[in-house]
Amino acid sequence: MDATRQARVAFYLTGKRPGAELEPVEGLDLRPALLARYRDLSTLRYDFPLVLLTDGEADTCVRSLSGMVDDALRQVARGEDGERVSKHVLRLEQAIRQASRGKSRSLSARWSEIAAELGPERDALLPDSLDRALEALGSDGEVVDCDGELPGRFVSHIWQTAQTKKARRLHGEIARLVHRVSNILRADLARSEKGRSADALKASLGGLDADAFDFQALSGVLSRTANRTTITAARRSRLEQLIAALQSYNFEPQAFRFTSCSEALAAWRERYPILVGVARAIAMAELEIAGDYREERHDVFFDEYGADGLSPDDIALFADYLVHVSAADMDAGEQAALMEILSSGLPMKILVQKDDILADSAPGQGGQGFARSAPHFAHMALGLNDVYVLQAPASHLLRCSGRVADGIAYAGTALFSIFSGTNGFVGDYPPYLVAAAAAESRAFPIFAYHPSAGPDWASRFSLATNPQPEADWPEHQFDYEDAERHRVSETVAFTFVDFAALDERYARHLARVPSNGRDDAMMPIPKALAVEVEGQPEQVPCTLMVDDQDRLQTVLVDERLMRETRRCRQAWHSIQELGGIHNSYAERTLAEERKAREEAVQELAEPATGTAPAPAAATQPEDAGAEAGQEAAAAIEPEAEPSPDEAYIETPRCTTCNECTQINDKMFAYNENQQAYIADVDAGTYAQLVEAAESCQVAIIHPGKPRNPDEPGLEELVRRAEPFV
Amino acid sequence: MATAASHCLLRLYEERHELEDYQSGVPRWCTGCGDNAILAAVQRLCRDEQLRPEKTVFISGIGCSSRFPHYMKTYGFHGIHGRALPVAEGVRMARKDLHVFVNTGDGDCCSIGAAHWVHAIRYNMNMTVFLHDNQIYGLTKMQASPTSPRGLRSNTTPRGSFLEAMQPLTVTLGVQNVSFVAQAVDWIPELLYDIVSAAYRHRGFSFIRIVQRCPEWLPSLFEPWLHDPERVRLLHHEDGIQVSPALARVYRNQEHHNPVDIDRAREIASCIDPIPVGILYRNPQVPCYEDLRATDHLRTTEFIKNGLEAEFDKFTVWPSA
Ligand SMILES: Cc1ncc(C[n+]2csc(CCOP(=O)(O)OP(=O)(O)O)c2C)c(N)n1
Ligand code: SF4
Ligand SMILES: [Mg+2]
Repeated sequence: MDATRQARVAFYLTGKRPGAELEPVEGLDLRPALLARYRDLSTLRYDFPLVLLTDGEADTCVRSLSGMVDDALRQVARGEDGERVSKHVLRLEQAIRQASRGKSRSLSARWSEIAAELGPERDALLPDSLDRALEALGSDGEVVDCDGELPGRFVSHIWQTAQTKKARRLHGEIARLVHRVSNILRADLARSEKGRSADALKASLGGLDADAFDFQALSGVLSRTANRTTITAARRSRLEQLIAALQSYNFEPQAFRFTSCSEALAAWRERYPILVGVARAIAMAELEIAGDYREERHDVFFDEYGADGLSPDDIALFADYLVHVSAADMDAGEQAALMEILSSGLPMKILVQKDDILADSAPGQGGQGFARSAPHFAHMALGLNDVYVLQAPASHLLRCSGRVADGIAYAGTALFSIFSGTNGFVGDYPPYLVAAAAAESRAFPIFAYHPSAGPDWASRFSLATNPQPEADWPEHQFDYEDAERHRVSETVAFTFVDFAALDERYARHLARVPSNGRDDAMMPIPKALAVEVEGQPEQVPCTLMVDDQDRLQTVLVDERLMRETRRCRQAWHSIQELGGIHNSYAERTLAEERKAREEAVQELAEPATGTAPAPAAATQPEDAGAEAGQEAAAAIEPEAEPSPDEAYIETPRCTTCNECTQINDKMFAYNENQQAYIADVDAGTYAQLVEAAESCQVAIIHPGKPRNPDEPGLEELVRRAEPFV
Repeated sequence: MATAASHCLLRLYEERHELEDYQSGVPRWCTGCGDNAILAAVQRLCRDEQLRPEKTVFISGIGCSSRFPHYMKTYGFHGIHGRALPVAEGVRMARKDLHVFVNTGDGDCCSIGAAHWVHAIRYNMNMTVFLHDNQIYGLTKMQASPTSPRGLRSNTTPRGSFLEAMQPLTVTLGVQNVSFVAQAVDWIPELLYDIVSAAYRHRGFSFIRIVQRCPEWLPSLFEPWLHDPERVRLLHHEDGIQVSPALARVYRNQEHHNPVDIDRAREIASCIDPIPVGILYRNPQVPCYEDLRATDHLRTTEFIKNGLEAEFDKFTVWPSA
């Protein structure tokens, strides 16, 4: 083994670089090759900054600045000067993007500030372009960039939008109920002696023309004549209590915002009795308004209201709590409170912000290995089945805004696990890039679980927002020039190694190959993961990076980091399975099914010998068909014809014309659908039967044969009955 | 937004209503009058849908047919001639919780009430409207109505009427926003019931013209149709009326008609013989006026007073100070 190879294998196995064959990567400012293009984000047009709109619904109240600008340009950048307007506005967008790093402001303020900076001095038409676009923008809101504050702002903005609407609805509803219940009391007052007193009557007329009335006389007339029933004292006091209870709910939305799970829980417990009181009052008021409240039935029920907890529908009327916690700061007490909230289904929306998903794994901190980060609440919550779960890095929040809104609208607990991309160990990489790399590398996969989206996992769980969710690692085309200045295009996977490589704590697991080239003794990460190595490897894993001059560098990866990468892939596979991708059960069944079919095909292909089973099988469907045919025929076979000797009515055709029932209402009667039938043929004469048959306009009465041979005039009656046989 | 509990309680204690619970008084209609069949079908509908009598209202104009509300043990409003629809619209606007039904005659609806009829179709407010069309003024003892056949001798047309009869179906189908149009005949109760119930379920202005026999003044007008099933054409469709096998054996003249097809509906509507029976047109997408004008405003005394004051102020002449 030559020295170079020896050094490589040694590095792979131990993470140490004994000689000069390999160089440390610290200080080289290397970055994963696939991120070479993203050196300066502010020159790119992408999702950020976002605008948290002051108007809009919960699922439309966040937009990207570029999206809004595009919409505005579609409206105003038309015709001759379209190109000029576009150019100006895009320049402004660019400047806003730059200015928004780390500083948020309202879009309108930012817009005018930058517009003033760009100034008309350089371009006289600039103000015109910008003014037109600003008008077309329509809505305003806070412009926010992807930073440590974003997760909190983003979720809280959607929460606030949803809560404001919810609070308005509840207050409107309570006002309606109070109004309707008060009306009952008022109507009662109007009927009472007091309400009919001369003074009350005078007051109800208002000031005008009061002299023209004799209210005393009016009062006298009313108290003698008009309806006097009033409600009972018990009901009046119940109604008054209802109004008081309904009006007792007066929380501001801000009262439901927390930064600790235990505090939120404590507040919930303290406020619960008020909630029960209001929910109870709402239910009672509905009954009272409908006039359906029955003391003997309902009193008992409402005495115990809420004893076994409120129903989810009741709870859904009220505000949802928002709890924003940082995963790093959670002590055991907080973790326990979080678990309690998650498992009790309380209407709380919990944002667990993670700033460092590799934190606990940092070597030398007593951890077992890498990436065993703070408890994966999101994964645990999945197991509870009725918690809405969304995990996403900050970079993908806009794409997940509908899901955040869903989680907030969901009647129950929601957990948002968001990675901010701001751990402080990534040099000057912008949080957006770190967050996006976490999703790209499967270190922080995106998933959403909506407990009430359907009956099965396929409808509830989604991985769709991940880049290339079918693949182990997303793959991208990477173009570069080689030493001979030939253009080379290569497919490169973005793996966990690339994500870890952003983090300075991981530099010691990487080593630069000075020769800068790759050779047969190296292999890319995906390939390295595919082979199981016992003892000394033939090839060592390497990844591609670029330095600050954009020169391609080959970097070796040690075994520890490879182990973590494998673990990350393993975790990703489990999530994929949940999402129905490469699901092992399904694939196994499919394989069996395929095998069975192949065997069947093979059997068919073999010449039939002796008693052929195939034709027998073929006759079966025919038999079944014949049977089905018989059944169908039976279904349309006419019902047994009534005997022509018996009197009967084709009841379903009766038009309720009363002809027959007026002839004899004992003999002819109406059934539960008001259609006539012969109730008692002996309750009248044959003559009546025949008369009824003759007067029935739809001719559905059939008199049959006479039952009493002694009835006079039978011969004639039988003749008249003939047309109705 | 009733809470779950009150819904459950309401349901738990809801009494079952039988047909008798909707019946009130003995109809004063002639024996053999088609109105009896309509009443039977409607009472059956109320029972089958378990409509709460106190949440149900029948509104009518004037005529034999307009006596209908008297025979229903629900709320009722026996209005003035030709004005059943405006009253019903007011009720609907103020009380969206009620099931609103309208009974109107061919004189009531197509003659004196024609203007209200046309606009009610356009307003498309959620109610079920029965046009009891006996092609005569019954209550006032036989005067020709707009739907009377040409040549009919009556007290007002002793030499026979001169004009072609008006077709209520084509008129209705010609108005903007029409959303449900059906035709029934009183002598096929099974279909009458099915059509009435489809009309009730449609959200919007459901208009059913019911060809109704008047044995008193026009005893033999429909005789030929009554005795020849070929002269009735049943419109059937998976999304319309489905004809039972028993009925299909008697009424063989059938047409498969999709109620979304308004062009064909208009053709069918102008056919007088055979009489088409079934759902001609249905479009649940047409918005209802009461929804378009819905407001969250509570009608508090204050609100009403301010509204009235504002109206009055428009016409007040203030004495100069
Ligand atoms: C304003 C007014 N004009 C005329 C009448 C007289 N009138 C009473 S009922 C009626 C016609 C009823 O015919 P129709 O609506 O077809 O009802 P039917 O009796 O046929 O069911 C007339 C003209 C009236 N009651 N009010
Ligand atoms: S007059 Fe005609 S419409 Fe009136 S009740 Fe008698 S049959 Fe019916
Ligand atoms: Mg009439």
